[in-house]
Amino acid sequence: MKEKQNISVGIDNVEAADKIAGLAKYTSDIVIEGMLYAKTVRSTIPRGTIREIKIPTLPKGYYTVDATDIPGDNIVGMLRDDWPVFAAHHVNHIGEPIMLIVREDKAIITEIVNKITITYDEAEPTFDFTDSCEQLSFQKGNTKKAFKEAKKIIDYTYETGYQEQTYIEPQGFIGYPENDGVTLIGSIQCPYYVKHAVMQTLGASEDLVRVIQATVGGAFGGKEEFPSLMACQLAVAIHKIARPIKMIYEREEDMEVTTKRHPAKITMSAAIDADNRVMAIKSHVGLDGGAYIGLSKVVLSRGMLASTNAYTIENVTARGDVYRTNTVPNGAFRGFGAPQMIFAIEMFMHHIAKDLNIDPLTFRKAHMVKQGDLTATSGVFRDPVIMNSMLEEVLKQSNYIEKVKQYQHPESNKGIGMSWFLHGFGFTGSGEKDKIKARVRLKKDEQDNVHILIAAVDMGQGPKTTMRKLVANLLDYPIEKVIFNNPDTRYVPDSGPTVASRTMMIVGGLLARATKKLQDQWVAHQEVVTEESYEQPSYVQWDNEAMHGDAYPAYSWGINVCEVEVDRQTYEVRVRNMWNIYDVGKAIDERIVLGQADGGQAQGIGYGYLEVMNHREGKIMQKNMTDYIIPTAADTPPMENTLMDNPYPLGPYGAKGVGELTLVGGAPAVALAIEQAIGKKVHTIPVTPERIMELIDNE
Amino acid sequence: MVENKIPTSYNEALKILATGSYQVLNGGTDLMVRYRGWSETRVKFKKNMLHIHNLDELNYITSKDEYIHIGATTTHETILHHPLIPEIMKKCLRVFASPAIRNMGTLVGNIGNASPAGDAVLIAYLLEARLVVESLRHQREVPIEDFIKGPGSIALAPDEIIKEIYFKKLNFNATYFTKVGGRQSDAISKVMFAAGYRLDADKIVDIRIAIGAVSPTIIKDKTIEKSIKGYTLKNLSNQKSMILSQYAAHINPIDDQRSNKHYRKKVALNLLEAFLNDIITRS
Amino acid sequence: MSEKISFELNGQSITITLSPDHRFLDVLRKHLNIVGPKEGCGEGECGACSVLMDGYIVQSCILPLGSVHGKKIMTIEGYRETKRFKALQDAFLTEGASQCGICTPGMIMATEYLLSHNPHPTDEEIRHGLAGNLCRCTGYNMIIKAIKRAAKEGEGLW
Ligand SMILES: Cc1cc2nc3c(=O)[nH]c(=O)nc-3n(C[C@H](O)[C@H](O)[C@H](O)COP(=O)(O)OP(=O)(O)OC[C@H]3O[C@@H](n4cnc5c(N)ncnc54)[C@H](O)[C@@H]3O)c2cc1C
Ligand code: FES
Ligand code: FES
Repeated sequence: MKEKQNISVGIDNVEAADKIAGLAKYTSDIVIEGMLYAKTVRSTIPRGTIREIKIPTLPKGYYTVDATDIPGDNIVGMLRDDWPVFAAHHVNHIGEPIMLIVREDKAIITEIVNKITITYDEAEPTFDFTDSCEQLSFQKGNTKKAFKEAKKIIDYTYETGYQEQTYIEPQGFIGYPENDGVTLIGSIQCPYYVKHAVMQTLGASEDLVRVIQATVGGAFGGKEEFPSLMACQLAVAIHKIARPIKMIYEREEDMEVTTKRHPAKITMSAAIDADNRVMAIKSHVGLDGGAYIGLSKVVLSRGMLASTNAYTIENVTARGDVYRTNTVPNGAFRGFGAPQMIFAIEMFMHHIAKDLNIDPLTFRKAHMVKQGDLTATSGVFRDPVIMNSMLEEVLKQSNYIEKVKQYQHPESNKGIGMSWFLHGFGFTGSGEKDKIKARVRLKKDEQDNVHILIAAVDMGQGPKTTMRKLVANLLDYPIEKVIFNNPDTRYVPDSGPTVASRTMMIVGGLLARATKKLQDQWVAHQEVVTEESYEQPSYVQWDNEAMHGDAYPAYSWGINVCEVEVDRQTYEVRVRNMWNIYDVGKAIDERIVLGQADGGQAQGIGYGYLEVMNHREGKIMQKNMTDYIIPTAADTPPMENTLMDNPYPLGPYGAKGVGELTLVGGAPAVALAIEQAIGKKVHTIPVTPERIMELIDNE
Repeated sequence: MVENKIPTSYNEALKILATGSYQVLNGGTDLMVRYRGWSETRVKFKKNMLHIHNLDELNYITSKDEYIHIGATTTHETILHHPLIPEIMKKCLRVFASPAIRNMGTLVGNIGNASPAGDAVLIAYLLEARLVVESLRHQREVPIEDFIKGPGSIALAPDEIIKEIYFKKLNFNATYFTKVGGRQSDAISKVMFAAGYRLDADKIVDIRIAIGAVSPTIIKDKTIEKSIKGYTLKNLSNQKSMILSQYAAHINPIDDQRSNKHYRKKVALNLLEAFLNDIITRS
Repeated sequence: MSEKISFELNGQSITITLSPDHRFLDVLRKHLNIVGPKEGCGEGECGACSVLMDGYIVQSCILPLGSVHGKKIMTIEGYRETKRFKALQDAFLTEGASQCGICTPGMIMATEYLLSHNPHPTDEEIRHGLAGNLCRCTGYNMIIKAIKRAAKEGEGLW
């Protein structure tokens, strides 16, 4: 038998040749004969009741589409159903959609939109953390006792700001009527989220709503739940007008009204014993949910679950609230609550060590998770934890210890920072089993081509390549004969959303099983179909009410080291170098995993020092790419990335999750590096030059 | 409806402008952004537009006596790579926007836009540049500081066009340029600083200082500069805090979505101080 | 109001009668069915719409049609027929320099501009050469490696 190729060796991304040549079709590239355009009329105040809407006499053939046109529920089906498709009476944030204006001439549509006047009875908006509408908490050990017995108690508060996904392709859909129903093609992460939401809004049955993914120009969580809102609106419009309609957001519109990473305020308190060990941590996470809660509760839970990060702490009390504010709703973004918390806990561990006068690295090492330890929610770290060898490797590569000493000198203006982190993949606890219930299908046709039928979306992170590679490798079959088209809900079963770094581990795992089955049932030149559905590993025990047990079946791990230089006159930060090391089990394709690493880190450090977004009285201030600063090629440092081999027995070929892991440690790594360079404790990100100046000045 | 004209000669351009109802559209990198509408619709210009960008007659860099002349349609990228251009301008243009914007945008457009954060405007002040403004009625010359009246406001009659900008070659020991933007490239300035000096033994015989994005127009104060001329390095060292406070009195920045006034002021003064220290320690 | 505007597009002469205050990106995408250049921001910032005009990189989303009169335009549609493109495509594939791909056609045009003026750029020169082309997926390092690879393996092409 010929020797099988090592699965990790990178192959050319199967979609990239077309993308490079400009041949890939994104949503806005799609044109349908006779299509119309839709533009949204939005609220201009943060909170109030709509008193009157004055619409100019519409030219013939021009339509308005609003809440009164909705045949089903005026709700976007998400985790918490509180988000209206169109504001009917009340508005709760600036930019809230009230109606669409639809027709073919964009200039006339714009004119109509500009002429519409809406009068409101304004109400007092809320922008602070007072209106809690989701609460969560969990407990491990006996925190009370630990705090009573503590030799010392150390408290800090950490704050994080908005982050905008800033995919380069704005949100968009094109849809058309089909067989009494609607078909929607869009830039989406989760075809079935969209489908189910549209069914609810139209009050339509399964067979009347079809959702197809177009090539997606970046998503990062931003196209997880938000597209459901657009899709519902467009579906209502298509239902009313019975014509193909296209709705593509302008960049400013996208930045002002789409979901962002939740700003957070995190307080941490540690009980320290006589041996300078952390006996207990109490934490509280407050998230700004924006005007509608949507999936914020899950973001909160993800954040809280990371509250002890890669450290084993015996006693833990974690509490959290999502606050409703009259601002644009916040939502999914790569990392999903973890980046906020990992920033806080990494800074906190460092700050505790400093306050105790011990070397932070030694201090952290004393608390590092080992195999068999209990997680924050008293689950078990069952699989080998190789953080120690990762640490050794990255210390060597970066020359960290030596540099820490060198940069202690205040004149050096340099600093080096290190973050540790872990990330669980898949839905939390029994979410995969109870909520998602993923199904995958493989179909071998009569020409012996194998079709992968799953709802996973390739938005650049590479499943088109890795899934085909996985199936081809398992079958020992040419990859060209394995076909994976963009998901179309007419043909693919619901393998769940493309989120939570679950695609390779969960969906890939199911595909691997379906492939085995296919191999067993293989008959040449005959159609063979196999299916698999999710089964939870029997060891996973999770109590959702108490948030107790195994939140995830397994974890990926990482360390980032980041080196910066701070300009003493302008307080500008230059990130000079990064070294990063990851345990993702087994890389199904090294090139793709390394690509995720580079991109994730760039977003992670951007979050830490560069990307500023805020609102004034509910209005987003940085509403274009000139003012919302993401890293350019000149800002991003060279990066050295290392992948460890630590196969996870239940993952396909031993693979675990990747996508989010590479982002979550960036902010604390860069913030700690800046902290060293300026010799001041950092509690807030982004650490902008303006903030650095304040820190230096407030001696 | 707005009218658009593409003149085939400079003279034709002047004739169209003489109607008094046209605005000059040059590279468009300011105007196209400011007036953009929904994609696939016409740009929402408020006035009739005169598209001069392809007028080759105005695309030149020449040198006469001590002076360098740059025509109105000459792009930043052309200027950046031209041998006649002083290094201080190149320092600025190397970090100006991005290659694509430099290929479209013009120096004269940067001045016409009259933003206090216009990078090349700062250098034009430092170079004490003059503008040649023309119409069918007349030709006149204006020093840059008289031409720019405030943010977005210039001394230009409706029938006039900026034909060129010119300035005297510099003779400095060293020039300084710092742009502080939100990131390393492709950024709008939060603060910017440019300066140059010439020493004769340990005496300052010439000095120029320009500070941008910290007041409605670029700060360049000839009176202060004149007072510094003639100082020895020792004098300069003694007078440093006085000079700093003189400039501090001019610095009156704003808070906006890109930065805040405290930061802008502090950084401007830091850069000025670093510059003065550099001269002092140079000896 | 409308004017006759003539230019060369990917080697073909085009004459179009349209008001000169259209964004050239729209003229390409809507009127000429050239959809390789993408719209990411519409304000000159992201470079997804980059094309070459007389060999110089420009952002077509803020390029007035009036400025194109008499010019030679090259988009990815024309460029992909060249040997240079092939070298870039191979290098981008090998290095994994395209993920979601929305930035890539613009990135390729920016690379062509860079290499045609500087066939052996340093890392720093590449980083500043790409200053007007934002990518949110890759973190740029793989793009930089790809450009260096293309410069080396495509030796003599630029
Ligand atoms: C992405 C991006 C990045 C940018 N980065 C920077 C930056 O880093 N630094 C910076 O300073 N600017 C920056 N800008 C702004 C802009 O590029 C510059 O101001 C540029 O120099 C403008 O030149 P233009 O020819 O494109 O001007 P246009 O937009 O054509 O015109 C600007 C103004 O000048 C007037 N005008 C132009 N030519 C004449 C003339 N001959 N006679 C009379 N009036 C005239 C116009 O009527 C208009 O009012 C950026 C713009 C963009 C889109
Ligand atoms: S779309 Fe033209 S630069 Fe972004
Ligand atoms: S590959 Fe997605 S933006 Fe560059």
